[in-house]
Amino acid sequence: MSEPRDILVCDDLSIGYASTVVMARISFVLPPGKILAVIGPSGCGKSTLMRALGGLDDPLAGRSRLLGVDLAEAGVGERETILRRTGFLFQGAALFSSLSLRENIEMPMLEFLSCPRKEIRQLAEYKLSLVGLADAMDKLPSEISGGMAKRAGIARAMALDPEVIFLDEPSAGLDPLSSGRLDELILRLREAFGTTVVLVSHEVPSILRTADFCIYLDPDTGTMGAYGPPKDFLHAGPPSKVQAFFNQARID
Amino acid sequence: MSHDAARLPFARTEIREDGLALVVIGGAWSRDQPLPAIVVKGDRVKVTASDLESFDSSLPAWLYGNFRNIRDLDLSGLPERLQSLVKIAEKATLTAGDEEPLGFLDQFGAWGVDSGASWGRAFEHIGQTALGFLRMLVGRAKVNWPDFRLQLQTAGVDALPIVALLGFLTGLIMAYVGLIQLRQVGATVYVANLVSLAMTREMGALMTGIIACGRTSTAFASQLGSMNVSQETDALRALGINPVEYLAVPRILAVTLMVPLLAVFATFIGVIGGMVVACAGDLSVEQYLTQAVRAISFKSFLVGFIKSVAFGFIAAWAGCYRGAVARRSALGVGEAATSAAVIGITFIVVADAVFAVIFNLFDL
Repeated sequence: MSEPRDILVCDDLSIGYASTVVMARISFVLPPGKILAVIGPSGCGKSTLMRALGGLDDPLAGRSRLLGVDLAEAGVGERETILRRTGFLFQGAALFSSLSLRENIEMPMLEFLSCPRKEIRQLAEYKLSLVGLADAMDKLPSEISGGMAKRAGIARAMALDPEVIFLDEPSAGLDPLSSGRLDELILRLREAFGTTVVLVSHEVPSILRTADFCIYLDPDTGTMGAYGPPKDFLHAGPPSKVQAFFNQARID
Repeated sequence: MSHDAARLPFARTEIREDGLALVVIGGAWSRDQPLPAIVVKGDRVKVTASDLESFDSSLPAWLYGNFRNIRDLDLSGLPERLQSLVKIAEKATLTAGDEEPLGFLDQFGAWGVDSGASWGRAFEHIGQTALGFLRMLVGRAKVNWPDFRLQLQTAGVDALPIVALLGFLTGLIMAYVGLIQLRQVGATVYVANLVSLAMTREMGALMTGIIACGRTSTAFASQLGSMNVSQETDALRALGINPVEYLAVPRILAVTLMVPLLAVFATFIGVIGGMVVACAGDLSVEQYLTQAVRAISFKSFLVGFIKSVAFGFIAAWAGCYRGAVARRSALGVGEAATSAAVIGITFIVVADAVFAVIFNLFDL
């Protein structure tokens, strides 16, 4: 049963491309300030689900309410207002290639904030230093590594202090130290601002450390295999694919 | 010779009484040699090795290709390292080659559906562009104004040399061809009327529009297409910024403003080009200029100006539209650039014909 203040409410959602359904019958509720991890084998539709949840693509069927609004039915203005209250990190970071890292973070601030240029610069520098890129602010995306681009993408997703942030494989390509630091950052953001986080990840230690809830997408059944706290998946209940996913990854 | 023959890969099949198909393989399996053909019937197969000398990936690939859909497959007679290579490959029930090629009518139908969808997307983009301009006018659109200034420079000022060259040559060619005819009736003085009127009403706008398609449409399609590939357009949407307003509106606005100015410049240079030929023997500079100025009316100027505004819009829109719907690959970006130029030039020529009819109706 969903509450009016729930950040994300999915009701019998089907996602996919054109007329091809990738995942169906996805239903869950995400309360504010919680961290949800979407897990599952590669190619099972995790990123597609994230795009639908984040309002970038319309679902094929069912309803999804982000911050109380069904984006598939919202008008252009309302959709954009909601999207401004969210942040999105893409799998490939999707930084603006002609802008430096600092300009990438400043861009949404310049568009939507009314504070002076000096403060915007200060904010951008702070956000970049949060993700460990204080020394690379004036570099172009083509001059940095994939892991650094990912971190810059996270800084841009955080630019407007979003209420909910979608992270598509944030720690892929990061070294263990940066990955641990990122987990710390996600937890701090939630603690300080009450930010709700939805993330796609394969890093089991990271999921166990950060996530409050987990959704397992099962490509064999084409639907949600399980939903609940990740720690419950490890031991409770009969052996399942979800447990296999967690245990295999832990052995790796 | 006999040694070489013994090294060839082989596969023999025997069907046993209990229905089990026994496949015996042997020899040296290599990607450089033709592999044995085999037909296996039934759903119980046992594969064993006899005189298997060596193998590379061709053997596990052959086993996988021939036996992946066999329900009861026994590979225990094979060396363990070969078994593991086959078992680790996932079972697949469908292959790409199973689909039958489409018939002529199906292909025609698919083409029709694709064309319909393509026109639908084009009209949708025109609608979004119009909405973007309206939102810009009421101050609700997020427009990238630095991009607007940049495009004024790149699509406008930077195009001056090529516009000057082609405008000059167009005027020159028209004067040359015109003089050949007008000399026959002793009316060479009218070559000034011919060149100035044609440049003002028609060629100035048309040449500039076509140059804009070649330079600007393709550039826009490539820029926006590349942004599509690297998900930069998605990133804009995720930030609550409408990509059409942010990227297309400033570009279209800049080109729609610059093309008329370039057309006026091309007209002027074209008239000069005509003068060079006309004054080389037949007319004096004073005669030519007097005649040229007399021929250009405000109506003619207006006709050329209106056309150039429309041509600028078409050229810029074609680039932005094709870039926005470009497929997410290097090939897609190339296709977008090509089709932006084709669509732009085609629409400009069609629009020119429509203008000709409309201006004729209004006696302009």
